[in-house]
Amino acid sequence: MTDIRTGISRRGLLAGGAAGAAFMGPWTHNRVYAQATDKPIKIGITSDASGQYANSGASDRRGMMMAIAEANERGGVLGRRIETVHLDTETTPATGSRVAERLITREECGFLIGAVSSGVANAISQVAQKYGTIYLNTNSSSPTESGENCHRVKFVWDGNGTNFAKATVKTAIEARGKRWMLLTNDYVWGHNTAASTKALLAEFGGEAMDEILVPQGTRDFSAALLSIQQAKPDVVAAAIGGDDQKVLRQQVAQLGMGDSPAWINNQQDWPDVYGLPLDNLFGVFGTTWYYKLDLPGVADFVQRYQAMYPDTSMRVPGNVFYNGYMATRELLRAVERAGTTNNIAVIKELEGLRMPAAERMQHHDAYIDPNTHQVQQTIYLATANVGTQDPDDMFEILSWSDPDAVRDLDAAAKCTLEPYEATPTYEV
Amino acid sequence: MTLLLPHILNGLTLGLLFAMIALGFTLIVGVMETINLAHGSLFALGAYAAATILSPAILGDTAFAAWWGTLPLGTRYALALVVGPAVAALAGIVLELCLRRTYGKAPLYGLLLTFGAALVIEEAIRIAWGSGEQFLQVPAVINGPMFMLGLIYAKYKLFAAGFAILAIFAVWLFLERTPYGAVIKAGAHDSEMVRALGYDIGRLRMLVFALGAGLAGLAGVVMAPIWGLRPHIGIDVVIPAFLIIVVGGVGSFWGAVVSAILVGLAVGISGAYAPAWSMMSMYILLVLVVGLRARGLFGRKSQLEL
Amino acid sequence: MISLSDVPARPGAVITPQIVLFAAVLLTAPFWLPMVGLYQYIGVEVAIWILYALGFNLLFGYAGLHSFGHGAYFGVGAYAFGLFQQEVAVSLWGGLLAAIAAACIAGMVVGAFLSHRRGIYYALMTIAFGQMFWFTAIKAHGVTGGEDGLLGIPRPPADFGIVSFDLSDNTSLFYFVVAVLLVVTIGLWRLVHSPFGRVLQALRQSETRAAFVGIHVWAVKWAVFALSAAIAGLAGGLFSMAQQSAYPDVMSLHQSGFIVMMTLIGGGLVSFWGPVLGVALYFVARDVLGSLTETWLLWYGLMFMIVVMLRPEGLAGAIHLLSERLRAPRARAAGQPAE
Repeated sequence: MTDIRTGISRRGLLAGGAAGAAFMGPWTHNRVYAQATDKPIKIGITSDASGQYANSGASDRRGMMMAIAEANERGGVLGRRIETVHLDTETTPATGSRVAERLITREECGFLIGAVSSGVANAISQVAQKYGTIYLNTNSSSPTESGENCHRVKFVWDGNGTNFAKATVKTAIEARGKRWMLLTNDYVWGHNTAASTKALLAEFGGEAMDEILVPQGTRDFSAALLSIQQAKPDVVAAAIGGDDQKVLRQQVAQLGMGDSPAWINNQQDWPDVYGLPLDNLFGVFGTTWYYKLDLPGVADFVQRYQAMYPDTSMRVPGNVFYNGYMATRELLRAVERAGTTNNIAVIKELEGLRMPAAERMQHHDAYIDPNTHQVQQTIYLATANVGTQDPDDMFEILSWSDPDAVRDLDAAAKCTLEPYEATPTYEV
Repeated sequence: MTLLLPHILNGLTLGLLFAMIALGFTLIVGVMETINLAHGSLFALGAYAAATILSPAILGDTAFAAWWGTLPLGTRYALALVVGPAVAALAGIVLELCLRRTYGKAPLYGLLLTFGAALVIEEAIRIAWGSGEQFLQVPAVINGPMFMLGLIYAKYKLFAAGFAILAIFAVWLFLERTPYGAVIKAGAHDSEMVRALGYDIGRLRMLVFALGAGLAGLAGVVMAPIWGLRPHIGIDVVIPAFLIIVVGGVGSFWGAVVSAILVGLAVGISGAYAPAWSMMSMYILLVLVVGLRARGLFGRKSQLEL
Repeated sequence: MISLSDVPARPGAVITPQIVLFAAVLLTAPFWLPMVGLYQYIGVEVAIWILYALGFNLLFGYAGLHSFGHGAYFGVGAYAFGLFQQEVAVSLWGGLLAAIAAACIAGMVVGAFLSHRRGIYYALMTIAFGQMFWFTAIKAHGVTGGEDGLLGIPRPPADFGIVSFDLSDNTSLFYFVVAVLLVVTIGLWRLVHSPFGRVLQALRQSETRAAFVGIHVWAVKWAVFALSAAIAGLAGGLFSMAQQSAYPDVMSLHQSGFIVMMTLIGGGLVSFWGPVLGVALYFVARDVLGSLTETWLLWYGLMFMIVVMLRPEGLAGAIHLLSERLRAPRARAAGQPAE
C-alpha cells in the first residue's frame, strides 16, 4: 500500500496544531483533509496475526476483505476506492495502542476495523476516541466492551457473554435441572459472564451450588473436574475463554463428561473448533451465525466465500468471518448513505440502524443500540451435530432467541458514551 | 478423607507429567549448564510432527495421505512417538551447532541464543502448520474414561503418567548405568579429563543436546492430547520446567523429579480447595523452598556461579 | 572480544559530545520523524524504552547481572502511576514518584532474594519473580483491571508552579519524556563513571575477586538491582501516560526477553550507548518489517541469533571496532582473543 501524498497531510496539520494545543485543548481542533473525490478511502485493519487469537484474527480479516472487495467491485464507496492497511496487533493491548496510533496518524486511515481480544479492543478504542476515528470491534464478546468501556466511536458487532447467558439459562433450568455449578475463568470476562449467569439463575429459580474459579493459563482441569464429579450438579455453566477453553474441551472429551452433567458454554468461535472431533464440542453453546442456517442468501454467501478463498483450510465461513464481513459491509453502506466520510455523520448513520433479517441472514431483524453501540441480534444455541457425515457440518442449531429477549441491560446501565461535541470530527 | 484422596492421586499424576515436561530441560541445564529457552518450542515441534503423522489430512489430498490413513491408528501413534522426538532432536542438533559459538562465554549467551531460537521455531511452526488448533488422535485403547472409586478418570492421562515413569527411569538408567552416561556426566565437570580419555567433547555435547531436545519432543507428543496444540504452546512448557529446576536445584536429576511431584501436588491439592490459587501455588512453593534453601532442594554448587 | 571497560570513557566530563548529539537527535525528532516515514507516537515509545533500556543496562551490561524478568518493574511503575491518578490525585509528579517508589520497593524486595545468587541461578530467579508479578497483575483484577488493563489513565499537565505544560498531545508528551530521559541519561553517565560504576564493573569480571578487595558484594548487587528497577518503574509510569492505560502484557516473559534482546543487539555489553541503538533498531524493525510481513518475529529472531553467535558486542561494538580500525590500524589487530 503506497502512501499517496496529497497537498495537505494530516501529519502536517497535527504538527501545526501542536503548537496551539496548549491553549485550545488537544483534540478540539477539527481536521479536514484534501478531498479530491478520486482519493481512496483508507481502512486500517487491526486484527491479530500472532499470539493467542491469531487464527480467529485471520478469519476476521478475511470477512472484512470480502466485504471490501465486494464494495470495490461495485465501484467503491462515494465513487472512491477502498484501500486497506493491515498491522498485526499481536493479541497484545500495548501493541494495539501503537498500531492504532500509527494507522490514524501515519497511514491516515479513516476507519479502523477488527478485534478478537477485549484487551486489544479497549486499547484501540481508547486511541480511536482521542482522534474521533470510527472503530468497529468485530469479534470481542466481553460485556465490558459495550458497558463500562464503551465509546462514541466504537461499535460492537458480536453478541456478548450476557446475551449468550440469557439465551441459555432459562431453557436449561427447565430441561436439565436447578442445581448449577459455575466454572469461571478468574479474569474480567469470566467474572462478568458468571455474574450474569448467577443473576439469571436467581431470576428463574435455579440454584448456584458453587463456583470454581480457574486461573487464566490453567492447563490442567482435572482438579476442577473431580470437584464437579463429587458435587454432582445438574448443569455446569462454563465461562472459560481463549486457550483455556481449548484445553478444557480436550480434557472433558477424554473423560467422556460432555453429556452428564449438562454443560453450558458461552460461545464457541468457529475458527477455534473447526476441524476438531465432535466430542470436543461438548454441551450447549451460543453463536451468532452458522453456515447452514436454512435462510435465503446463506448458500450464496458460502459460495462467495469459497470463490474468494479457495485455498484456505477452513472450507466454510463461521461466526468470526460473518461478524467481520457484516461490520465492514454496514460501515461502508453507512458512509454511502451519509454521503460523506465525516465521522459524526457516519456515527449518526450507524446509531439505531436497523438491519433487516434477510440482509443479515439471521432469523430476526438486528439493530445497533444507540446507547451502547452494540449490535442487538439473533442469538443461536447450538450443540455438536452428532452423527453427521459432513466434516464441515459440525453444529446442530437447537434454537434461537429474539434480540430483545437477550438484551444486556447491565451493559446499558454501565455505558456512558462521550458526547458528540467531545469527539473530534474529521473527514478523509 | 475420601474427598482428599482423589486429589492427591491427581496431584501425583500431574507431578509425573510435569517431570516429563522438565526432563529434557533438566538434562541440558544439568550437564551443559545452558538454560534452553527453546525447550517449549522443541516440545511444540515434536507434537506438530506427531500430529502430521496422526492426521493424514494435514498431508493434503495425495494418494500417499489416503493410503497412510488406512494404517491402524495404533501403528501411526507408535510411529509418532518415534518421529516426533526425532524431529525435535534434529532441530536440537542444529541449535547445538549454533550454540557452539557461545561455549566458553558467559552462560547468558546460551540463554539468549535459545530465546531467539524459541521465537524462530514458533514462527516457523506458524508458517508450516498455520496458527489454528491442531488435534492429536490417540488409539482407542488408551482413550476415553475409566471408573475408579466412583469417580471418572481419563485413561489417556494415566497412560501418560505411566509413560512419564518409563521415560524418567530410561533417562536415569542411561545416565547412571551406561558408559555413555558416565562420560556425559564427567564431560560436564571435567572436559579436559574426558578429552584425555579420548572422547570427542564436541560430539558428546551434541549428543546431550539432541537427547534433551528429543525428550522435549517426546513430552510434546505425549502431552498434546491433554493440552491441545497451538504454535504458542511453548510458553506453557517453559515456565513449569523452569520452576521445577529452580525448586529442585540445578544439576540434580532426582531433585527435578521430586520437585515436579511437589509442584504437581501443590497444583492438584490447591485445585481442590482454593482453585483460584492453583497456578499461584507453584510460585508460592518456589518462594518457600528458595527462601529456605538457596540452591533448591538438591542443588549442588554450579561451576557457572563463579 | 572487547568489553565495556575497554571502551575508553571520559570521566569527569558531565556533558560529552555523545550526550549533546543524543539530545540534538531527540529534540529535533518531531521535525524529522514524519520525513523518514515514522510518526510522533513511536518517538514517544522509543524514548521511553531507551530510558528503560539504559536503566536495564546498568544491571545487565555494567554489573553483569542478567535479569530476565525486568518487565515486572516496568509494569509495576505503569500500574502505580495509573492507580495514583485514579485513587489519590491527578498529579504528574505524584504519579511519577509513585511509579519510581513502587518499582524501587518491588526491586528491593526481590533484590533481597536475588542478591546472594550468581550466574545462572540469578537469571532463573529473575524469571521466576517476573512471572509472579505478571501473574499477580492478572489475578488482582480488582486493582489492576486484569487482562483488560487499567484504562483511562489521564496525562496530567507538567506543572512547574509558574508555568504549566499540557501533555495531552503526543508532541508535547514527547518533549517531556525526552527531558526526563536526558536528566536520567546524564545521571547514569555520571554514575557509571563514578567509583560505584567501577565497582559494578568489578562485579561483572568476578564477584569472588570483588569480594576479596573488600567490596560488599551483596549490598552492591542489591542496590544496583533496586536502582535499575526504579528506572524501569519511571519508564513504566511514562509508558502508562503514553498509552493512557496499563496492561499486564509488558510484564510477560516475552516482553522481558525483548528488553534483553534490544540491549544486547545494540551493544549494551560494550557501550553505554548500546541500548539506545538497540531500542531504535527494534522499534524501526518492528514498524517496517511488521507492516511488510506477519512473521517479522522470525526475521528479528534470526537476526538476534546471528548477533549472539557472531557479534555479541552488537551494533555499538561494531561501530567501535570500525572506528578503531580507521583510527589506528595497528592497535587492535593483536588484541585480546577472549574475555
